[in-house]
Amino acid sequence: MAEPNSDQSDLMHLLVAVSRQDRDAFHELYSRVASRMFGVCLKLAGHRELAEEALQEAFIQIWHHAREYHSDRGSPMGWMMTIARYRTLDLIRSRKVRQTGSDEHIDQMRDERAGPLDESLRSAGAAELTGCLDELTNAQRDSILLTFYKGLSHEELSLALSSPLGTVKSWIRRGLLALKRCLDQ
Amino acid sequence: MKKTTERVETLAAEYVLGTLHGKARQGFERWMMESVRVRQEVWFWEEKLGALASEVPEQVPPVSVWHAIEKRLWPDIQAANDESGSSSRWLWPGWSLVATAAAIVMAVLLVQQPRPSVDGQLAGAVVQADVDDPLWLVSESGRDRWLKLKPVAANAAETGKDYELWIVPEEGDPLSLGVIPAGGVYQVTLNDEARESLSRSRTLAISLEPVGGSPTGAPTGPILHVTRLYEL
Repeated sequence: MAEPNSDQSDLMHLLVAVSRQDRDAFHELYSRVASRMFGVCLKLAGHRELAEEALQEAFIQIWHHAREYHSDRGSPMGWMMTIARYRTLDLIRSRKVRQTGSDEHIDQMRDERAGPLDESLRSAGAAELTGCLDELTNAQRDSILLTFYKGLSHEELSLALSSPLGTVKSWIRRGLLALKRCLDQ
Repeated sequence: MKKTTERVETLAAEYVLGTLHGKARQGFERWMMESVRVRQEVWFWEEKLGALASEVPEQVPPVSVWHAIEKRLWPDIQAANDESGSSSRWLWPGWSLVATAAAIVMAVLLVQQPRPSVDGQLAGAVVQADVDDPLWLVSESGRDRWLKLKPVAANAAETGKDYELWIVPEEGDPLSLGVIPAGGVYQVTLNDEARESLSRSRTLAISLEPVGGSPTGAPTGPILHVTRLYEL
């Protein structure tokens, strides 16, 4: 995550207060992180209404489960971003809201990693991950990024990349394993 | 299925990535309950893959999301507010608590600017609910009783429309502060009633109205912004 440590420590204090049912702290937390989380929800869902609902669900979960956060789960920001992703994925699964298009997605993914967003990659975690992503084959990397950013299922990925289901499954699996080996080094 | 290292690794990664579905997903969630090692593997991927999420640009959510959250968590407060505001056709509940992330950011920007030497200087920000919405900065002088709005990214309202500024009181109907131009600084002097009301609620709103402002004295068009004034 790209936050300086002081931000993370502020967020940590807010989470502690939220776990004690402090409503003002909860509102402050919302003010600070909602836009970042909403960006992720919106990107993943590709659908405004669904993204708004996912954000709502995510904050309901944060209110009820703030005490379950601990540092093994990453930074406070990372933990909340993960919740935002999961709630969005849940809604995508249950609503079967689907994005259309195919090749266009891949171009967008590439743009996102190499474009003006590179700045946010300076944070250690992202830089490390990007270095490792570069070691994957193009097909493996595209499969993982498309799935991460767009919430595509194996079947949708197979359509988007015009490749057999078994092939995309193995791209993802092998890509992830290679990523793990690289990150563990 | 046995929990081999490789299986745990790939299933955890796929779980976090979002490609694990149906029975495979349920089975894996059971593994997570059974084993701390499996949970740790999930946390590993949440953190590593989560770094990708930090690349996604921010998007300011509409204020309605916060209202919906409040309504679900604290329906009692909501109901009380509904009653007190029943004379109004407008849904005021929760508005006084509205502050978007952008509002905080803008307020911080204001702090960093040289401070005018007016005592009791307060400032806040009216910000966009949607990216396309216009944006104003608000500053207030307690001593001289004025409120200034400076457009930052405000375009003229669509043809046949004007922006109107309101004080959102703690109770009752909003109080008009007049029509604000999209260009140039708008300054309004507060009368006693307006001052009193604003000092308690610290909340402003901007709505889109017919040219010349609301014909009824209450907002008739969509509310573009609701903001709290922050003491700086």
